[in-house]
Amino acid sequence: MLAALALALLPLLIKSDFALTILVFSFLLGMLAVSFNLIFGYTGQLSMFHAAAFGISAYATHLSMSLLGTSFWIGLVLAALLVLFLSVIVGTICFRFRLKEFYFAVVTLAFSEMARLIILNWNSVTNGTLGIILQEKPRIWLPGQGIVKLDGTLMWYYVSLIGLALTLLVCWRLVNSWMGRSFAAIRLNDELGDTLGINVFRYKLAAFSVGNMIAAIAGGLYSFFLGSIEPGFLSIDQSLAIVAMVLLGGRGAVAAPFIGALVLTTLPHVIHLGAELRTIVYGSILIFTILVMPQGIYGSIAALTRRPPHAI
Amino acid sequence: MGQLILGQLLNGAILGTLYGIIALGVTLTFGITGIVNFALGAFMMLGCYMAWYFTDGLGMHYAVAVLCAVLVTSFAGLIADQTLFRFTRNNLVNGLLVSIGLISVMEGAALLIWTSTPKNMEYVLPGVFSFFGLVVPKMKAVVFLVLLGVILATYAALTRTWIGRAAYAYAQNPEAAELMGVRTKILQSGVVVYSTGLAGLGGALYASLYSIDPTLGAVYILKAVEAAILAGIGSVIGSLFGGILLGITEGVGSIYLPIAFRDAYGLIFLIAILLFKPAGLFAGRK
Repeated sequence: MLAALALALLPLLIKSDFALTILVFSFLLGMLAVSFNLIFGYTGQLSMFHAAAFGISAYATHLSMSLLGTSFWIGLVLAALLVLFLSVIVGTICFRFRLKEFYFAVVTLAFSEMARLIILNWNSVTNGTLGIILQEKPRIWLPGQGIVKLDGTLMWYYVSLIGLALTLLVCWRLVNSWMGRSFAAIRLNDELGDTLGINVFRYKLAAFSVGNMIAAIAGGLYSFFLGSIEPGFLSIDQSLAIVAMVLLGGRGAVAAPFIGALVLTTLPHVIHLGAELRTIVYGSILIFTILVMPQGIYGSIAALTRRPPHAI
Repeated sequence: MGQLILGQLLNGAILGTLYGIIALGVTLTFGITGIVNFALGAFMMLGCYMAWYFTDGLGMHYAVAVLCAVLVTSFAGLIADQTLFRFTRNNLVNGLLVSIGLISVMEGAALLIWTSTPKNMEYVLPGVFSFFGLVVPKMKAVVFLVLLGVILATYAALTRTWIGRAAYAYAQNPEAAELMGVRTKILQSGVVVYSTGLAGLGGALYASLYSIDPTLGAVYILKAVEAAILAGIGSVIGSLFGGILLGITEGVGSIYLPIAFRDAYGLIFLIAILLFKPAGLFAGRK
């Protein structure tokens, strides 16, 4: 709660447009990481479809605006519904056939690679490898000012902060409900869960769909803040970047992946490195986190601050 | 048309053995250490650059250069095993992520050292064989035969020698194998190193056929994983057939459909196999 208030008041302190831009990217990628943790951390499914949901929605939002003439927000809703539809198809195929662990990762990877290949080669609609430059800005209603263009970093800051807050709220409500307990049961032992009367298929599909829909909303916002879309949004690298954020932040709390998103988004701008060195540092962080700090930043700090148990 | 198809069949088969040699590494590593080593693509890339460096840079004979490249790659594999993979045995997700981190490190280092400009090797073995109107470059034929020979030799070693028996015993029941005197730690490290050596060999031979760049491993590891799953993970001879099947489908497929779909065949195979025959086409002996 305190952190949320601090973040809401932060623009009063930080006037630098540059710093705010980085924060907006962190919030949007944070939505992506937090929603991925719903599937990966809480339900235990290593999905490789998250970047695809993110990218497909970015394209779909733009296409619904340019082809159907809808507003940005309607386009975003349509894109999220499209992603929901695709998630249900992919999820049903994977979970009906009881694909787990590595096999689930590989099949979702195959689906997202196919989506990427389609986008890469459907030149007339997606402009292929070049991507699309987005000129228009979404409009929002502000009290006192009426409908205004969503322009300027400060407005985006609050929009993305609200997006992240809503994501955290939805995930927190889900995880701390009977549904969340079913997720945990599936993660720990889905066969046992099945025998206890938990509909494993339904809850896996629920986590997968909700996670992907949040990723879809993040994708639409991200592309319009960035001002362009490219097929790289759907790449394997993007999927892995999300995994890295979650692992670095930690899987143990709803908001923990946001820490990872914040660190990995800020780091390249704080330490100036060439693209090659950045790749090396990035890979090293991933390896280091898994081997030395498997609980992530959040887990490690929580372990430090927790009082040691009393000696008997 | 008939010749075109035949030519693509042959080309696909040659490319397929290249997929197969990496797939063999994937299968062996998975069978013995329980992880999928995605970094094998990066080790293949290392093999490429080593072969290129030893021939073009140091002026060695190509055959010697290939041997040296395999040794260097295996040594790199040994270091990676002792510093990283040793800690992720039988932990699929961690192993996967560590190997992916290793890809970033190796690709970044390769970009720093050799830049992204593609490198070409001088023609090692120019000239072509031509028979029945088909033209096959000599080098391609040599690569095909060498890779085929190595895969078959590995198969023979695994089915005919005590090392193979130890490996199969370990794959079936690690504790029992250890009790029977199989030195499991050495077996696991050996398999990881051997699979990186195989990837290095594939890379060193690849360098003589095509131009090389630091990111080439990504495509090949993906194809290799597809081939390994297609055959059924754990099947040694299956990884060869899986690779060739994939190579031929891509080759023949690109005659009839736009080349853009080339990478999609493997994905479609993968999904179909995992849904309808998850144990793979060559299910049976593990």
